[in-house]
Amino acid sequence: MTAHIEIQNVSKRYGSLTVLDGLSLTINANEFMVFLGPSGCGKSTLLRMIAGLESVDDGTISINGERIDNLPPGQRDIAMVFQSYALYPHMTVADNMAFGLRNIGLPAEVISARVAEAARMLEIGHLLERKPGQLSGGQRQRVAIGRAIVKEPKAFLFDEPLSNLDAALRVRTRVELAQLRNRVRSTMIFVTHDQIEAMTLADRIVVMNNRKIEQIGTPMEIYSRPASRFVATFVGSPTMNFLPVGLSGENGFARAKLPDGTDLQTAIRLEGINGSGHSLGIRAEAVKLANGTAATTTGKVEVIERLGDRTLLYTRLKEGSVVIAEDVGNSRIAIGDQVALALDGARTHLFNAEGRAWHNEGVGHG
Amino acid sequence: MSSMSSGRIVGRSTGDRIILVLVIALALIMMAPIAWIIALSLKDNKELMTDMNSVFHAPYTINNYVNILATSSVFRWILNSVIVSGGLTIMTLVLSSLAGYGFARLSFPFRNTLFVIVLLGLAVPEQAVLIARHQLFSWLKFHNTYHGLILPGLAAPFGVFLMTQYFRAIPKELDEAALLDNASRFKIFWKVLLPLTIPAQATLGIFTFLSSWNDYFWPLISGTKKEMYTLTIGIASTQTNFAQSEGLGFLMSQAVFAGAPILILYLFFQKYIVTAVSGAAVR
Amino acid sequence: MAEATLSGSASAAKAATRQAVQNVNAPLWRHAVFVAPYLFFFVTLLVVPLFWSMWLSLHKADAFGVGRFVGIDNYLRLFRDKIFIQSVGNTFYFVFLTVPALALIGLLLALALNRKTKSAAALRAVYFSSSVLSVTIVTLIWRIVFIGNFGLLATVYGWFGATAPAFLSDPKLTMIGIAIATVWWCIGLPMMLFLSALQQVPREIYEAAALDNASRWRTLWHITLPSIRRTFVLVIIIEIVLQFQLFGQARLMTQGGPNNVSKPIVLYIYEAAFTKWDLGLGAAASEILFILIMIAAMAQYFISRRRGEEG
Repeated sequence: MTAHIEIQNVSKRYGSLTVLDGLSLTINANEFMVFLGPSGCGKSTLLRMIAGLESVDDGTISINGERIDNLPPGQRDIAMVFQSYALYPHMTVADNMAFGLRNIGLPAEVISARVAEAARMLEIGHLLERKPGQLSGGQRQRVAIGRAIVKEPKAFLFDEPLSNLDAALRVRTRVELAQLRNRVRSTMIFVTHDQIEAMTLADRIVVMNNRKIEQIGTPMEIYSRPASRFVATFVGSPTMNFLPVGLSGENGFARAKLPDGTDLQTAIRLEGINGSGHSLGIRAEAVKLANGTAATTTGKVEVIERLGDRTLLYTRLKEGSVVIAEDVGNSRIAIGDQVALALDGARTHLFNAEGRAWHNEGVGHG
Repeated sequence: MSSMSSGRIVGRSTGDRIILVLVIALALIMMAPIAWIIALSLKDNKELMTDMNSVFHAPYTINNYVNILATSSVFRWILNSVIVSGGLTIMTLVLSSLAGYGFARLSFPFRNTLFVIVLLGLAVPEQAVLIARHQLFSWLKFHNTYHGLILPGLAAPFGVFLMTQYFRAIPKELDEAALLDNASRFKIFWKVLLPLTIPAQATLGIFTFLSSWNDYFWPLISGTKKEMYTLTIGIASTQTNFAQSEGLGFLMSQAVFAGAPILILYLFFQKYIVTAVSGAAVR
Repeated sequence: MAEATLSGSASAAKAATRQAVQNVNAPLWRHAVFVAPYLFFFVTLLVVPLFWSMWLSLHKADAFGVGRFVGIDNYLRLFRDKIFIQSVGNTFYFVFLTVPALALIGLLLALALNRKTKSAAALRAVYFSSSVLSVTIVTLIWRIVFIGNFGLLATVYGWFGATAPAFLSDPKLTMIGIAIATVWWCIGLPMMLFLSALQQVPREIYEAAALDNASRWRTLWHITLPSIRRTFVLVIIIEIVLQFQLFGQARLMTQGGPNNVSKPIVLYIYEAAFTKWDLGLGAAASEILFILIMIAAMAQYFISRRRGEEG
C-alpha cells in the first residue's frame, strides 16, 4: 500500500501570523520527497499537517484521492519518525513497536510477526526487551523507524530524524535509510534543513522558504538550475558566488560586465531577462585558477580551506567583492598570493533583484 | 589550574571543622527533647512521680508500650488516620492527575481561565473557608464520618498545579506519536503519560498524606466524637490531663508510638518528602 | 493492516460527508471531562465556601442557622473587642519573633550544610526531621521540656541550682516559648529552600572568584549572599504566610493564656465560631485574616514572577 498525496492550496495561520501560505504540491506514490529549508520556513508544519498533528486552516490534503485533512491522525494510515524519536520511555522496544498495532486490535501473532520482521530488517532483534533509556542514540533511531515500519503505512513521515545523531552516525544512518527505502516500497516524506541529506536521499526536493515553496525538483535540477537566488544560496557548499553585473547582449546570449570591468560571456539567453540589479551566480567549482589560459579576473587570496580532495580559495577581487575559487587538493597557493581566476561562463546563472533566476539552455553543465 | 576548576574550591580548613562541630552540637541540642521523651516513655510511671532524675539511669521498662497495646485508643486513632489520609491521598492523586493532564494537554473552552481561577485558589487560606464548610457539612450530616474528614482536602489546588506542571514538562511528541498510533486521549493519559509521572505522584502523594496526617484544624471541628478522632487529635486530647503526671511515662510512650511511623516514613522517603514540602511552599 | 485501512476509509467517508474539521488541537467540550471531577470539588468545597464565608460575615449566624443581615456589624464588634485587637497584636508579635529567626537560622544552617559530604547529608536530614511531626507531638514535646518541676529545662537548670524560666505560665514568656517550639518545628523548610537556592548558584562564579583570590568571607559576602537575595525575600514571605496561621501550638501549649497574651487570630476565630458558635463574628475575623494573608501572598506572587522573568 502506498500513497499518492495531493496537497492543494494549504494555508496555516496562528492568529495573525501566517506560517504557510497557499501551498500546492503533489507527492507521487513510492516517491521519496524531501522538504528542505531553513528553520522556521514551515516545512515541519506542513509535515505535521499531513500527519494530522496540526489543523489545516485552508485548502485540502488527499491521499489516493480521499480527503484526509479532517481525519484524526490515527486514521490517516501514516507513520511518523520524530526528531526526538518520541519512544515511550517506560515500554520495551517490542512494546514500543507493538503499541500502535494493539490499538487497532490486530491479532497477537500478526503483531509479533511484524515486530520480528522489522527487528530483523533493522538488526535490533537483540534489543527487543530493553527500554529506550538503555539504548544509544543510533539504536533509538532504529527503534523509531521500526515502530513506523510495523504499521505498514501508506506513507512514512520523517521529521529531521538525523539531527540528533553525531556526525559519523548521521552519515551511516543516511546510507541505511537509502537502503531501507529500496526494501520498503512506500511513499516517504523527509523534512530536513541539511542540503546533503536532501541531495543524497531525495527523488525530488521541495525547497521552502518564508511560508512558500521556492522550487520543486530533482536534486540535480535544484542544484544546477535553482529557481531563485534563495535556492541557489541555500543548496550547495560552499555557497554560490554572487557578483553584481551589468548586462549586454551578443548573439542573443547575455554578456555580463563584472564589477572590475571585465566581460564574461554566458550561455544564458538574453531574451526574457527582466528586472534590474542583476547579479551573476557561479559556483566555486566553475571558478578555477587560470594557468596561463584566459584569465577572467585577478584577486588576492585571503582565506584557504583545505578539504583534502580540493581546496577552496576565498579571493578578494580588486573592487572588493569576494569570490570562492576551487583548486586541487594539494594546492600550493598561500594566503596573500595574487591569483588569476578563470570563470566558466557556461556554468553561470543570472538573478535579478527580486531573486528570479535564469539559466543556460543546456542540461549537462552541472 | 585544572585542580582549581575540577576539585573543591574551598578546602577542608580549620574553619570548616569548627562549623561542623557547631552544627553537630546544635543538632544534638535539637534532638535532646526527643531523646527526653523517649527516655521518659521507657520509665515506670511511679518511679517518675518520686524522682524525675531517675530518667537518667536504669531500670528502664517497655511496660508503657505494652499498656498501649492493651488499653489505649491509639489503634483506633491510627486506623482513622490511615483511612482518612490514605483515602484523601488516593483521591487527590486520581483527581490531580486527570485534571493535570486535562489542563496541560487538552484543549477545551475556557481552559486557561479555569486554570487561572484554580491557581488563585492557592492563595486562599484554610481559615477563609472553614466556617462555611463546617456549616455545609452540618447540613449534609457529614460530621463525624470518614468522607466528612476526607472531602475538604480534595479541593486543594496544589496537586492540580503540580501535576499540570509535570505533564507540561513531558515532551509533546509522545502524545503525538501515540495519536498516530491510534490511541484515544484516555489511553494516551493512562498508558503513555501516567507511567511517566510516577516521581510526581510520589511527591504529591507523600505531601498530601503528611499534611492530612498532621492536620489539626478540620478534624478538630469535624471529627468531634472520640471514636472518630484522628491520631493528631487523639494525642492532643490526652495532653490536657498530664499535669497530674500520673501516667507521664505512658503519655510519652503514646506520643513516641504516634510519632514513630511518620519519622520512619521520613527515613525511607526523605528525598521525596523534602522535595514535596519545599515544592509546596514555593509553588 | 486490513482492519486499519477499512476503519480508516470508513471514517474518511463519514468525515467527508459531515465536513467537520477534526482538528487535534481544537477546543472540545468533551476534553473537559478530565478536569470536571476536580473542578466539582474545587467549586463546592472552596469557591462556594469562600463566598459563603464572606456572606456569613455580614449576617448574624449561629449553630442553628443564619439569622438576619447585619451589615458590617460583625466587623464593628471585632474592632471594639479588645481581645480580638490583642490577638492581632499577638499574631504580629509571633511573626516578628519567629520569621527572622527562621530565616537567619535557616540560612546559617544551609550555608554550613551546603556540601556533598555524608555528614552534611545526615545533618540536613536531622534538621528537617522535626518538620514531619504533627503539631500535637511537637507541643507535647515542648510542654514536657518547659513544664515546671519535672520538665527537661527545669531539670537542667536544677543541676545548677537555678530556676528555669516559666515559658508556659509567665505572661511575658509564653509567646516566646511558643516561638521557640515553632522555630524548632519549622526550621527544616527555610533551610531546604536556601539549600536549593545555593545549589543553583553557578559553579563558574565560585571558580572565577577563586581565581581572583577572593577570601572565603569575601566570596560569601559578595557572591553567595547576593545570589540568593531573592530566595531570602521569598522565605520571609512564605514564613509570614505560614506563621500568620499560628493555631495548634498556642491552643495546645497555653490555650491562649494566661489572660489571652498568647491568643493568635486563628485561635480567636476558632473560639468565636466553634466554642461560642458566633459564626458571623468568626467569619468576619477570618475575612480579616484572609486579607492579611492575601497581602503577603500577593507579594510572594510578584516576587516569584519576577524571578521567573529573570531566570
